[in-house]
Amino acid sequence: MKTLAGRIAFNLFAWTVVLVTAFPLIWMILTSVKPQFELFRIPPTFWPEQITFEHYTRLIYETPFLKYMRNSLILGFTTTIVVVVVATLGAHSLVRFRYPGRERLAQMVLFTYLLPSVVLILPLYLMMVWLGIANTIFSLVIAYTTFALPYALWLLRSFMQGIPDDLEAAALVDGATRMEAFVDVILPQALPGIISTSLFTFILAWNEYLYALVLVNTDEARPLTTGVMSMLVSAFNIEWSLLMAASVMMSLPLIIIFAFLQKYLTRGFGAGGVKG
Amino acid sequence: MSGNPLDKRYAVLGAMLIAPTVLIFCAVIIYPLVSALYLSLFTIFTPTLRGNFIGLGNYAYLANSPEFWRSLWNTLLWTVCTLTLQIVFGVAAALMLHQNIVFRSLARSLILFPYFVSTVVAVLVWRWLFNDLYGVMNHLMLMAGLIKMPLDWLGSMPNAMISIILVGAWKYFPFVVIAVLARLQTIPDALYEAAKIDGAGAWSRFVDITLPQLRDVLVVVVLLRAIWDFKEFDLIYLLTGGGPIIATQTLPLMVYKDAFGLNDMGRASAVAVSMMLVMLSFMVLYLKLAGRGERESQR
Repeated sequence: MKTLAGRIAFNLFAWTVVLVTAFPLIWMILTSVKPQFELFRIPPTFWPEQITFEHYTRLIYETPFLKYMRNSLILGFTTTIVVVVVATLGAHSLVRFRYPGRERLAQMVLFTYLLPSVVLILPLYLMMVWLGIANTIFSLVIAYTTFALPYALWLLRSFMQGIPDDLEAAALVDGATRMEAFVDVILPQALPGIISTSLFTFILAWNEYLYALVLVNTDEARPLTTGVMSMLVSAFNIEWSLLMAASVMMSLPLIIIFAFLQKYLTRGFGAGGVKG
Repeated sequence: MSGNPLDKRYAVLGAMLIAPTVLIFCAVIIYPLVSALYLSLFTIFTPTLRGNFIGLGNYAYLANSPEFWRSLWNTLLWTVCTLTLQIVFGVAAALMLHQNIVFRSLARSLILFPYFVSTVVAVLVWRWLFNDLYGVMNHLMLMAGLIKMPLDWLGSMPNAMISIILVGAWKYFPFVVIAVLARLQTIPDALYEAAKIDGAGAWSRFVDITLPQLRDVLVVVVLLRAIWDFKEFDLIYLLTGGGPIIATQTLPLMVYKDAFGLNDMGRASAVAVSMMLVMLSFMVLYLKLAGRGERESQR
């Protein structure tokens, strides 16, 4: 790539690859703003001849979409808060305290992180039925901790291992108790890691499908993933532009995270066990 | 260390901090895991949840069931093919994004997006692309002269298997990109400079420097992705539902079908446990590697 021509050619090639990869997502956005009749044009039009937001208004006013979205938001935030609080305490304990069984416990966390949810889902289903909380958002929060908690613990543990021991030791010498040192010294240092972990946990909960499919069977508690799919299945003829509008709306939190908080995502990735 | 009252107090405090984690783990992971093993020894009718103890009957049934072996084969085929594509495209894209291209951070975001987007969204978009009448895929391939008739992408074989493998590769290759890209940034430039002085071409620099440096991270990525692809449910279930008939049915789909389609929760548990036994070898290997990496980084 010494010559200018070579450089331009490489850039063109690279961007072609990027755009081909992103094409399905670009197509989703374009389809969502085309009028219904334009979808059945042969050959298909690339740019919409006419831009319309009717599918978005229909989605909001004529379908249960907003209800699903509310459920997904409650579910995502509750899961994130519960998991991140428990995991922060747990990770701190795994990194800074010595007691018998600590290493085994850390290993077990990694093991559970790899477990397939189809193995856990049948007993969990029976458990929810037995507890009488099937078909509630609460049952999904419990189910989501099965994959979110090991993941968050492992991520936070890697972050906290990067905080030097001397910081806490200095605070202890100054007369702080261990809990004070945790709150005043460790927590501020771990904050970027906690933000990364929260984002990943929220995305995991937002995108989850299988547990929601098995455990929840009413529109009252259904999150977006199964809700939007039920719109596809129950429709007499599939309205693709409506579904694409739903897909765009469903990806909004992700787009926001990508636009403003992307550095936390890449940082979390480095810590998440793919160190090699 | 022992005998010091402060150390003992600290150990108690440490145990208290980890206690919520341990309690939740026991309730939602350990108990269900043991329970799954136990359930697999029964025949249970899902709607009434009543059943009889039949010992290893479910496993004996599965050993003689062509459907089980076909599902296992499908799972392996899907895992190997989609994983290979993920690694090849992932490494290639990482090398590409490592170079100086214009708007590099935007390019990276666009490449990473499929990985973070919900599987439901990915599947909806691809089903629209694959649509037999108005889908763009058929239109582009007809225009390019690759096919004469529109293809049935998801409803016939081998197209359905190829389609899920392709969509799986598209959805998950960014994981490889991120991991490899992070590693590439830590390879010292001096290595390349030295090789250039020795007269090594671009290809031999890749084979002799880049690949050996990437080896460790690739081993970890292959293991992790193999485990995750093996247990993939959403993507396949939503794209083909295991069809046509059972041609793309993998083991996780068989668990779901047995439990909630055929209403036999005992047999479904037996399938799930068998599936976990197959995965266990990968999981143990990964745990060993991760343990080794830990000890090295602590040194």
